[in-house]
Amino acid sequence: MNASNPIPTDYGVFREAIRTFLNDALTPELIRAGQRTTSVFSDFEAGKTWQTILHAKGWGAPEWPMEYGGTGWDIQQRYIFLEECKLANAPNPVMMGIQMLGPMLMHFGTEAQKGRFLPGIISGDDVWCQGYSEPGSGSDLASLKTTAERDGDEYIVNGTKIWTSMAHHSNWIFCLVRTDKNVKPQAGISFLLIDMATPGITVSPFPSLDGEVEQCQVFFENVRVPVANLLGEENQGWTVAKYLLEFERGGQHFTIELKKQLAKLRMMMASSTHRATDDPTYAYRVAETEIDIMALEQTELRIKGSISAGDNPGALSSLVKVSGTELGQRCAELLIEAAGQSAMPWQSAVLSPDYTGDTAAPTECVTTMAEYINSRATTIYGGTAEIQRGIIAKHVLEL
Amino acid sequence: MDAQMTEDQSLLKDAAERYLRDSYDFNGRRERILEGVYSDPGQWQSFADMGWLALPIPEEFGGLGLGTREMAILAELCGRFLVTEPLIDTLTSTTAILSRGEQRETLLPQVAEGTLVPIAAIDEAHGGSRLTPTTTLTQTDSGWQLTGSKHWISAGASATHLIVLAQSSEGLAWALLPVEGEGMEYDRFPTHDGRGGASCHFDLALENDQIIAIGDTAAAALEAYRELAMMLSSAETLGATQAALDTTVDYTKQRVQFGQPLASFQALQHRMSNMLIQTELTRSLVYAACHAADNGHTEHPRLARAAKVKAATVGRTVSQEAIQLHGGIATTDEYIVGHFFKRITALESWVCSRGEALQEFMALASR
Repeated sequence: MNASNPIPTDYGVFREAIRTFLNDALTPELIRAGQRTTSVFSDFEAGKTWQTILHAKGWGAPEWPMEYGGTGWDIQQRYIFLEECKLANAPNPVMMGIQMLGPMLMHFGTEAQKGRFLPGIISGDDVWCQGYSEPGSGSDLASLKTTAERDGDEYIVNGTKIWTSMAHHSNWIFCLVRTDKNVKPQAGISFLLIDMATPGITVSPFPSLDGEVEQCQVFFENVRVPVANLLGEENQGWTVAKYLLEFERGGQHFTIELKKQLAKLRMMMASSTHRATDDPTYAYRVAETEIDIMALEQTELRIKGSISAGDNPGALSSLVKVSGTELGQRCAELLIEAAGQSAMPWQSAVLSPDYTGDTAAPTECVTTMAEYINSRATTIYGGTAEIQRGIIAKHVLEL
Repeated sequence: MDAQMTEDQSLLKDAAERYLRDSYDFNGRRERILEGVYSDPGQWQSFADMGWLALPIPEEFGGLGLGTREMAILAELCGRFLVTEPLIDTLTSTTAILSRGEQRETLLPQVAEGTLVPIAAIDEAHGGSRLTPTTTLTQTDSGWQLTGSKHWISAGASATHLIVLAQSSEGLAWALLPVEGEGMEYDRFPTHDGRGGASCHFDLALENDQIIAIGDTAAAALEAYRELAMMLSSAETLGATQAALDTTVDYTKQRVQFGQPLASFQALQHRMSNMLIQTELTRSLVYAACHAADNGHTEHPRLARAAKVKAATVGRTVSQEAIQLHGGIATTDEYIVGHFFKRITALESWVCSRGEALQEFMALASR
C-alpha cells in the first residue's frame, strides 16, 4: 500500500529478460555511441540503428498503447526498461516523434493522420524535429511569427524556426504557426506537420558551444503544406502544444542518469589520478549531491505512484524538471572539477562510435567538458527553469 | 501531490490534524509558555486518550503496535501546530530504549496513560551529542550509584523521568530515574522554541530495576534512539517547514505594496517556488526513510541520515526565506512564522546534528 517503494521484487524476471536482450542486441559500436553521448542526443546513425532493432523486437515505443505498437508494460516495467538501457549504455534514438508527437497524434489526430504517421515514427523510418522556438520567440512562445495562410487545400508557410534540434537529420517537422493575427496570441496558433522535402525549406545547422552540431535554424519561404496535415483544429495549436509540453516534462526519469553520473564521480574519487581524491570538501559535496539525488528519486517514485493511482501529476512535473536538470548540472560541475585540466583537450573524433584510436585525455575525462557545456542547456530547453518556477507559482502555489 | 498512505494512516492523520486545528490555538500556546507552562496537562491527557502516547507500544503492553510512519505523521503535525508537549521525545525514548528493558511490562502502560513522561538524556556539559558519557554508573553492595550531569535536555522541563546514558564497567548503560528526589539537582529553563529545557547534576543510588539496559543492549538502544530521532526530527521539521511556506504564501497574497499583492512579484514567486520544490523533495525522503525502517530495508540507516541532512538543510533555508518574504512582521513574537523558524533551528541539532548525519551517511556509503 505504501507508495514509497512501489517496485515489487518479482519484477526481477522482467529485468533479467531486458538484460539478456540488451546483452545480445547491443554491438560494441552501439555501446560506444551510448558511452560517448554528451547531450540528450547520441550519434545519429547509431540511434537510428538502435530504434530499428527495438522496433523489430516490438519495443519501439514501450509507452504507447498496444494498438499503436506499444508493449502493454506497466509504469514500473517501463522504468526498468529505461534504467537497463541506460546502464547498458544503449544509444538514444531521436525521441521527438515517439515521446512528443506520438501521444499528440493519438490524442488530436484524425484516423487518417494516425495511420499515415504513427508507423513511421515507431519504426524510426521517419525522423521528426520540433519547430517551436523562433529567433524572437523563446520563453514567450505564443508571440511566434511564422505564418500559415490558407490557399485552397493548402497552407502557405513563411518564417523561421530556431533551436530545431536534429533538423538536419529529420525528414519531418511539427510546427507551431500563426493562422490568425487578429486575436490574442495563443488563440491564433495552429499545429502543422510539414514534410522537410517540401520546396522552400532551408536547414541551416550551427555548432553548439562544445563544437558539435545538433542545433539548426529552419527557414520557410512560401512552403505549401496540405490542409490534411493540420493537427487538431485551426487556431487550436496552443492547446495541442500544451499537451505536448506536459509529455516533454513528465516523461523524463532524471535519477537513472544522475545515479550513473554519481557512480562515475565515485570512480574518479577512488582513482589517484584525479585531483578530487585529495580534497576533503569534495567528498562532502558529492555526499550532499547524492542525498539530493535520493530525494529526487523518491519524488519520482511518488509521482509514478500517483500516476499509477490514476492521478495527473500536472504542474509537479515542473518540480522534477527543475530539480533533475539542476542536479545534472551539479554532477557535471563535480565531474569537471575532478577532471581538471585533463578535461580540456577537444577531440571531436572521439564522439564517433566508430572511433577506437587513442584518446587525448583519460577516457573518463575526454567527454567531460562537452557534458558540462551541454548541461547548461538543460535548464533552458523544454521550458526554462524560470518558466518552470513560474508554472509552480501559478498552478501549485496559486500566487 | 499527496504522499500515499494506508487507509488507517489517513484516518490517524485526519483525526490528529482536526484535533490540533480545533484545540491547539497559537495565541493560547504563546500565553501559556510566557507563564512557564511548557506542557499543558490537559493536552497531554488528550494525547493519551487519543492513543498517541501508546502508538508504538506493542499491543501486549496496552499499546497500538504501530510504526515509524505513524509516529512521523504525528511528528509532522507537531511541527505544523508547534506542539510544545514532549511528544516526539517520549515516543523516541519509549520505542528505542524503554521497550528494551525487562521492566517494560510495568513501564509502558504508564507511558501510554500519560503518567510516566520519560526523556532520554545524552548531552553533557560541553555540548554536542557526545556518545561517550562521563556520567558513570557503578555497582554497589546494594544496587547502583549514578554520578554525573546532563545538560540541555530538550523538553526536559516537562519530563517526569530521565533515561540517562552512562558509562558502566560493562559498557554503555541507560538508567531510569525521576527528576525529583534525593541526590538530584534539576534546573528547568525556558527555551527559544517554547518547550522548556532542563540541565541536571546527580549523585544518587539506584535500584536494580532502574537499569533499563546495559552493555550491548544499551548500545543497540542508543543506535535505535538516534536513528528514530533523526527520522522524527526530520518529520517534525518537515511539518514546520510546510507550515512556514503556507503562511508565507497566504501572507504575500494579502499584503499589498506598490499597489499590488507581494505575491504578484516574480522575484518573490520564484523564491516561493524554490521553497515548495525543496519541501516536496524533503517530504519524499522523510517518508521513504520511515517506510524503509518499518519494512526492515537494509538501506534504512542511510535513508534516515539522508532525511536528516535534507530536512535540516531545507528547513533552515525555507524558514529563513519565510521571514524575509514576510518582512518586519515576521520578526515579532506575536506573529507565528518566526516560531516555525525557532523550532526548526532547535530540531536541527536535536540528538544528532546535520553535520554528524552527513558524516555518518558518508561512512555508510563507502562501505
